[in-house]
Amino acid sequence: MTRPDHTGPKDADAPTDDLLRTDGGEHSDPPRGTITLPDEVELPRLLDFYDLQDPEHTRIHEFYDNLRAGSLTTTQCTDCDAIHFPPRVVCPECLSDDLTYTDLPHEGTLTSFTEVRGTAAIGMSDDPPFVVGVVDLGPVRLSARVDNATYDELETGDAVQLKVMDIDGPTEQDRVFYRFEPL
Amino acid sequence: MPHNAAIVGGGLTEWGERDATWKDLAQEAGKATFDDVDGIEPADVEGLFVGAVQPERFAFQSHVAPMVAELLGIDVNGMLARTELACASGQAALRYAWLAIAAGQLDVALVLGVEKMNIDREHMPEIQSNMTNVLDREFDGVNGLNGPSYFAQYAQRHMEEHGTTQEQLAMVSAKNKSLAAETDFAHYREHVDVDDVLDSYPIAPPLRLLDCSGITDGAAGVLVVSEEKAAELGVETAAYITGSGQSCMASNSVNNIPSMTTWPQAREASQQAYEQAGIEDPLEEIDVAEVHDCFSISEIIEYEQLGFAEEGEGGQFIEDGRSELDGDVAVNPRGGLLGCGHPLGATGVCQALEVYRQFAGDVSSARQVPDDPETGLIHNLSGSASVHSVMTLARDPQ
Repeated sequence: MTRPDHTGPKDADAPTDDLLRTDGGEHSDPPRGTITLPDEVELPRLLDFYDLQDPEHTRIHEFYDNLRAGSLTTTQCTDCDAIHFPPRVVCPECLSDDLTYTDLPHEGTLTSFTEVRGTAAIGMSDDPPFVVGVVDLGPVRLSARVDNATYDELETGDAVQLKVMDIDGPTEQDRVFYRFEPL
Repeated sequence: MPHNAAIVGGGLTEWGERDATWKDLAQEAGKATFDDVDGIEPADVEGLFVGAVQPERFAFQSHVAPMVAELLGIDVNGMLARTELACASGQAALRYAWLAIAAGQLDVALVLGVEKMNIDREHMPEIQSNMTNVLDREFDGVNGLNGPSYFAQYAQRHMEEHGTTQEQLAMVSAKNKSLAAETDFAHYREHVDVDDVLDSYPIAPPLRLLDCSGITDGAAGVLVVSEEKAAELGVETAAYITGSGQSCMASNSVNNIPSMTTWPQAREASQQAYEQAGIEDPLEEIDVAEVHDCFSISEIIEYEQLGFAEEGEGGQFIEDGRSELDGDVAVNPRGGLLGCGHPLGATGVCQALEVYRQFAGDVSSARQVPDDPETGLIHNLSGSASVHSVMTLARDPQ
């Protein structure tokens, strides 16, 4: 046993160490201070759900650059032709790192969806109700918010089209993301 | 395996919205576990495996395995680790304990699953962020997907492709929540019928509030020992780990999971476990199954993928009563995640403890699986249901 022995004295006759009070008296009031904390912490950029999209922060910045310019793209492997989503820096099929960006269709099919009616995550807690679903674009399938529709207005198989969203948030960067809306 | 490993007892905290910290819960479950097993003291433990998903987010604490060692006075001189595999973290911890014992590295391991999830209600967006973070945050979580809104889409597709009905979903919740009414630690202990489920708020349609498991604080522990140690202890009942499988099919985000209707990973993981355990007909050979009913639809798909029902017939399986206590296989006798709640890291450990207790006849008679169950299964899915983990258990060693 190498743990320190924290066993205390068992009876009044046992020896006490210097830290134990031996005078039998009351403590005098100890000095008091105040620790002051901010009332609120502003939403730090790190707590929102959108990554920094520039070349200094991510090697898939071209995906975001293309989206900002109005094109939905993803990576394709120049060695084995595999198309990936989400975009990558290494092909998971053959481990090549020779990838290029290829255009994805801007129209697809809504294959499943629901409506978020409960509490949503930080940064989106004012958004419910909103529709989120899975969109089949042919080469890839992705999850996405579906704007301009309620759950009751949609059916699986509905055609949807890309909508580019500019993000107004706690960073100077011009960030973007994609959503879809009924065609 | 070279060395058999067995669960020889365990214990847990009360589950629910607890006025207690992460550390409080770990201590309660640790004490309950040691109190349950005669002949094993903290000083006997050579391996400690702690299942915990997000102590960093819910309790702002990392490096929790040594924290548990300190809290319970365990001087670990073998193996010590915390496991994180989202909702399967508890089973992952159990799996590593099993492997360490099977490899002959340890004779006694403590597996403890702990999750503190209820921070004050004003912080519900933070709680939801934590659940969202188990998905690919950049491309799936960002869209507002979380548990209900993700699994709702499996329900929608299963209903469209296989004719599964809202009533069949509700039957799963009614079964499990009513069983939880007989479980003394469960978060939800009210009898619920099908109409109660159908009348509850459609929080992420087609899923209704009572189709969903809750946000629960809780911890559970089991002691896992070698067959030799079990013999030395002279235990009356043991739950031997006879098989363990996992599958993820190189998938995590929505584009790459193999299906939005079903889980071939669960079929693959269960086949691995069945093969190790020598199980050829799971419906015939498994007496009690603790499966991951995070949502009602999950249990229906699991009937199919674990080999209890044909593909697409999970809804009919519950409707025909085949997963009831006295059915072909008793599924979730403690009330599952729907009834007990789902403290993420603790769930898999609690499932294994329930199988042990069912073998020992140490549960309320109202939830005891009849005819002395001797074989069991635990199943967890995790994250985007990309990963499935299955473990088989039996009263007797192989």
